Amino acid sequence: MTKTEHAVARSAAKEKKAWKDLPLLLIALPGIAYLIINNYIPMMGIFLAFKDFSFFRGIFGSEWCGLENFRFLFQTKDAWIMTRNTILYNVAFIIIGTVLSILVAVFICELGERKRVKWFQGAMLLPNMLSWVVIGYIAYAFLNSETGFINNTILGRLGLDPISWYAKEGAWPLILLIVYIWKNIGYQSIVYTAAISGIDKSIFEAAAVDGATKLKQIIKVTLPMLKPTIITLTLMSIGRIFFSDFGLFYQVPQNSGAIYATTQTIDTYVYRGLMELNDVGMSAAAGLYQSLVGFVLVMIANTIVRKIDSDNALF
Amino acid sequence: MRRKLIAALMAATMALTVVGCGGAKDGGKASDSGYDQVTYAYCTFNNIPSEEDLDTVEEAINEITRDKIGVEVTLKPIGIADYSSKVSLALQGGEQIDIFESLGNFNTCVSTDMTYDITDLLDEYGSETKELVGENWLQACSKDGKVYGIPTMKPIALTPMIIYRQDIAEELGLDMSAVNSVEDVTDVLRKVKEAHPEMTPLAPVQQGQIGMNVVWDNVDWLTDDFYSPKGVLMGDDMTVVDFYSTPEFREKCELARQWYNEGLVMKDAATTTSTAAECMTSGNYFAYIAAYSYPEADTAASLQAQCGTNPIAAKMIGDAYLSTSDVNAVSWMIASTTKNPEAAMKFLNLTYTDADVINLLIYGIEGRDYVLNEDGSVSYPEGEDATTVPYTAQLSCGTLGNFFLMYPTAGTDPESLKWELEQNEKAKTSPAMGFTFDSDAYKTQYTAVTNVIQQYLAGLYCGSLDPDTEIDKFVAALKDAGYQDILDGKQEQLDEWLANNK
Repeated sequence: MTKTEHAVARSAAKEKKAWKDLPLLLIALPGIAYLIINNYIPMMGIFLAFKDFSFFRGIFGSEWCGLENFRFLFQTKDAWIMTRNTILYNVAFIIIGTVLSILVAVFICELGERKRVKWFQGAMLLPNMLSWVVIGYIAYAFLNSETGFINNTILGRLGLDPISWYAKEGAWPLILLIVYIWKNIGYQSIVYTAAISGIDKSIFEAAAVDGATKLKQIIKVTLPMLKPTIITLTLMSIGRIFFSDFGLFYQVPQNSGAIYATTQTIDTYVYRGLMELNDVGMSAAAGLYQSLVGFVLVMIANTIVRKIDSDNALF
Repeated sequence: MRRKLIAALMAATMALTVVGCGGAKDGGKASDSGYDQVTYAYCTFNNIPSEEDLDTVEEAINEITRDKIGVEVTLKPIGIADYSSKVSLALQGGEQIDIFESLGNFNTCVSTDMTYDITDLLDEYGSETKELVGENWLQACSKDGKVYGIPTMKPIALTPMIIYRQDIAEELGLDMSAVNSVEDVTDVLRKVKEAHPEMTPLAPVQQGQIGMNVVWDNVDWLTDDFYSPKGVLMGDDMTVVDFYSTPEFREKCELARQWYNEGLVMKDAATTTSTAAECMTSGNYFAYIAAYSYPEADTAASLQAQCGTNPIAAKMIGDAYLSTSDVNAVSWMIASTTKNPEAAMKFLNLTYTDADVINLLIYGIEGRDYVLNEDGSVSYPEGEDATTVPYTAQLSCGTLGNFFLMYPTAGTDPESLKWELEQNEKAKTSPAMGFTFDSDAYKTQYTAVTNVIQQYLAGLYCGSLDPDTEIDKFVAALKDAGYQDILDGKQEQLDEWLANNK
């Protein structure tokens, strides 16, 4: 065969393969369309971060303004506080959230009987269905300084003075952590429950025959088998480490000024600052900054994972 | 093959998006009917009417406008909660809106080029409105000598008042006529606390506000507002001062602290989500302080329905003060993207001068949405109210064109209108009336300073922060945030304005 014949044969084979893939592609079509419309087309908005936006001239007609829109993110003392809060909270959420949701998943799988499993899972999932506004009010019912449950019932019985929680900044890291875990743990543990159910039962049986206790089985079998899931989920949360859950940090502290030092995150800062200015360019700049840092962090984390254990890296 | 497929897909989505935008852009000048088309986007505090009900009102207005000015109008009511963001999104997306209003964001609208320069249009097609509103007020809606908006004609002068439970005042024999300032309020609150220890005397108006922000009758906020003051003018002195370093500010904070320590005000006022209306309805509160533009009796009557069954009354505790931002807070503007500025101006003019158009916009169709009483006032039809009639924008009264041409609602004293007009004319006016501050060059500082203010101001105004230690921290934090740049910028622009306007 000559070179061209080779090429023809190869492209024919390719063609055939493409035809075979067509049904699969068609299945993916809605997803791809969604991605393009929802995630790619709006990327045009990236220009806004570098423009002095004018409604009359439109996005592309507006004047360039360099990095002017980014300045407000870095210029003040608050910049350090909000960045620190965002990262520390997210790190705490990732570590404590992951540990606790694995624990919950393991416990749920040990329950055995189906009915009980469903009941517990449902109960733990319920808070996840509530909106942050509702949860904010539930927290308010606990923390209100005049009629709240903690001040009235608990501290009163113990003979302690009431505390005005919405002015006590030291308490908030713990309060926010508890609220976050309470809302999200059921949902996060689902993935782990599914992964544990997927583990071959005969491995556990073999371990039991070898004399491994339940605890040993969990440490030596369950956890290693969960490793890929843990890594994937953690990498994905690292990508969003510069984003905070706006509802959690805005609705739950009731927007109380006195506790900004421990509740202010990048998202709430941007929201509060720009509500008044209504400046599209600066909002776009904040979003771009968060995404960029998130992207870099995912790349770094993934590289580290690949170095240590290349099978489990995302890409 | 695969690449082709993806290319086709991309092309299809692109085409779809383009069509999507194109569709909305229709309805410019050349319409089937031959009349110029204008879209009027207004904010409603009532329910958004259904499509058909809106159409009947639209048609009724069009019957007038076709004859008078050769224009057809499309009404676009938008709920108050997201009015400004919806309008700005619509304009960005190329959707047709020709006329819209500012809700306290006049400067942002002008500095982002959302508005059309109407200086000449106003002379040509809106001379009646121009005369009605007056040169002074138009200046408040101008920038660099160009007019960008028309302030709505309504009782603008806001007078601080205490709204209180009349039954309790009578029970305790309180002499409310002697309460003429916010300092006088202290004694009243104390007496209530003494007689009714189970009650909290003073309720917040909303989060972070127990009324301290409205009791200033000599302060021009210079384009900011009393929710978040930055550099201000006090009295007739034309020096921009740092509001938070003034002894006056400290005094008010100390008063609030005193109320807080004596238990005269809700403890959680700085963070609560309850509003004054909820507190008053609960029956556990005696009073709240806010600013209103109607006479005492009318104010009390209009608030009664929201405040539960206990009878309430109102007493003024200060004077009204007018500055630029009071006037341009609600102003009507033509969109810079309009294709029909002349037609838009013609219609805008009618909303200030034609009683029929205004009443259609506010009350809807006579007989269906409202009935006209013998004394010329308006009620809902038998058995109906604001939530059941097909169309009403009654709560938007005072934001749509000319309030003084509207039918009054039943139960309003005709004398009130006179009082309100008078207040507008004789209220003390800031020496910097007409000056607007262009904050465009200070966006970074504004973001930072706003955050600091939100952190401290509510706590200080509600007494939960101790002014002795916190004001100094507050001022220092402001300084770090670039506050001085804003003050300097304001002074510079004010001096320039003074030089041009003397």
